[in-house]
Amino acid sequence: MSQEPMSDVMLDCYQVSKNFGGLQALDNVSFRVKEGTIHSLIGPNGAGKTTLLNVITGMITPTKGSVSFNGKPLGNISPHEINQLGMAKVFQTPAIFPEMTLLQNVCIPALAARDGAFKLNMFQLLSKGGQIESFAEETLVEVGLQGVMHKEARFLSRGDKRRLELAICLAHRPKILLLDEPTAGMARHETEQTIELLREISKRGMTKVIVEHDMNVVFALSDTITVLAQGAVIAEGTPDEVKGNPKVIEAYLGEEQE
Amino acid sequence: MISLVSILKRFPLTIFALVVLSLPFWFPYIGGYVGLATKMTIWALFALGFDLLLGFTGYLSFGHAIFFGMSAYTTGLMFKHFSAEIIPAMIIAVIVGTLASVAVGYLTMKRSGIYFSILTLAFGEMLHSSALSTFGWFTGGENGLTLPDLRPVLFGIRMDGLTMYFVTAFFLIVGYYIAMRISKSPFGLILRAIKSNSQRLEYTGIDVQKYKLGAFVLSAVYASVAGSLMVVYEPYVGTEYLHWSTSGELVIMSVMGGLGTLIGPIIGAWFMLYFENVLSVPLGEEWLLVLGLIFMAVVIFLPGGFVDGVKKLYNKLTKNSADVEGK
Repeated sequence: MSQEPMSDVMLDCYQVSKNFGGLQALDNVSFRVKEGTIHSLIGPNGAGKTTLLNVITGMITPTKGSVSFNGKPLGNISPHEINQLGMAKVFQTPAIFPEMTLLQNVCIPALAARDGAFKLNMFQLLSKGGQIESFAEETLVEVGLQGVMHKEARFLSRGDKRRLELAICLAHRPKILLLDEPTAGMARHETEQTIELLREISKRGMTKVIVEHDMNVVFALSDTITVLAQGAVIAEGTPDEVKGNPKVIEAYLGEEQE
Repeated sequence: MISLVSILKRFPLTIFALVVLSLPFWFPYIGGYVGLATKMTIWALFALGFDLLLGFTGYLSFGHAIFFGMSAYTTGLMFKHFSAEIIPAMIIAVIVGTLASVAVGYLTMKRSGIYFSILTLAFGEMLHSSALSTFGWFTGGENGLTLPDLRPVLFGIRMDGLTMYFVTAFFLIVGYYIAMRISKSPFGLILRAIKSNSQRLEYTGIDVQKYKLGAFVLSAVYASVAGSLMVVYEPYVGTEYLHWSTSGELVIMSVMGGLGTLIGPIIGAWFMLYFENVLSVPLGEEWLLVLGLIFMAVVIFLPGGFVDGVKKLYNKLTKNSADVEGK
């Protein structure tokens, strides 16, 4: 594996294995995400990409191995604590608060960033609470959702729900953003818009890990690509290196051509 | 009509306070009496607190009789063994109810959905049956806790009639003010987010478990105050205060009134007690059947309860008048 100094490694997965009953979903997976880069995880169906993402975000605990974030091991801590360390996740189906307005949706992460995981502020008025609302508004503008802030989130199109979810994640000012198939189930033009949006956000220099099916998205965005097949890492490198790797062609691209 | 709605929107607390404070004076004209108004106000407080749990977070507790009942028993025991002054009795009762809710909430809130509901039901039944058996030596067992010749007092003033009513009304108005503030606070926003998408909330850096417990305890504080007031009003603790049917009635009145609206469960509570005590007379023995039908009709046709019904009606009326003006 890479021998770079640890200092610029933000996320470090070390020999992670996960068994579900008899099924080995992840087999000794190691990979490092460097600060400021966009790192994609690709692989055919059942390669263990989503499982790996779930291990990183604390949703499931690995059978073996460890994950550390900025040098801090993430074993046995809950998802909200991991989030408070600066890790945000975009789910496969947009996870938003459907019955709330867009503004309320984004006020929540803004509150989590200001007040931490729990604060008993029952008597403070939200509208007067230290510019929370104006900060939420700015974040919505950033993802291109101005003008509909008082609309209920459930009425948004799928593409806009994805934008809103990004705003929810960004309002927390995360150090790293994990995206689980951000363009899954989207029409072509929505996919292109999403790529554009992710590019714009990339200008802020935020580190990203993207799990993705769509090769256009991966090659358009990534600095580094890690290829998984049957729960193990089979290749890692720049988009060009990975494209030419025969193992990858066999495991993934080859399968698609059949 | 429109001006009335705008007044309601601008001064909800003032209007609410005026309605509550004037209730005993106009209530007799529609068949009510002061005692019933007091009971209705106590149940309204109980239902209001419950809304902060069920209406906001979506956690359906079938065990809130625990806190209502425990507080009622504590108040009764304080009267019996300490003094007829209501302040110390109520303070101790609310402390007991709140502590119980921390313990019960801590254990039951580990689960959600139907499992949470069943756990709270189980806790409630456990407590109810132990009050009748194991703890019967101080709870009075199946007879309930009788307090013969006891007259609760506040600084020496007898708590009956209108005095009792206004003390109760004070608690309801203050309780409503607090609930309204919570509703507009960051805390309230996060409680509503629990109902909307608790997984997203957890992944947004919020300790959902603590907020859930906060809502549970908060609703139990309201339940405890209500339970204690019940014994101040009527110095006797019935075993049914701990019974699951008390929790069940609370759920029914909340749903009928309109969950998550604060005012809805209050209206639901008022309606149900009014129905039970006044409208049941002309209906005779069939009153429960009629109440059941009303409940079913509300759930099927007005899932948002009475409040939703009024809103829909208002929208329809204003829309119609706008159409007429347009033409």
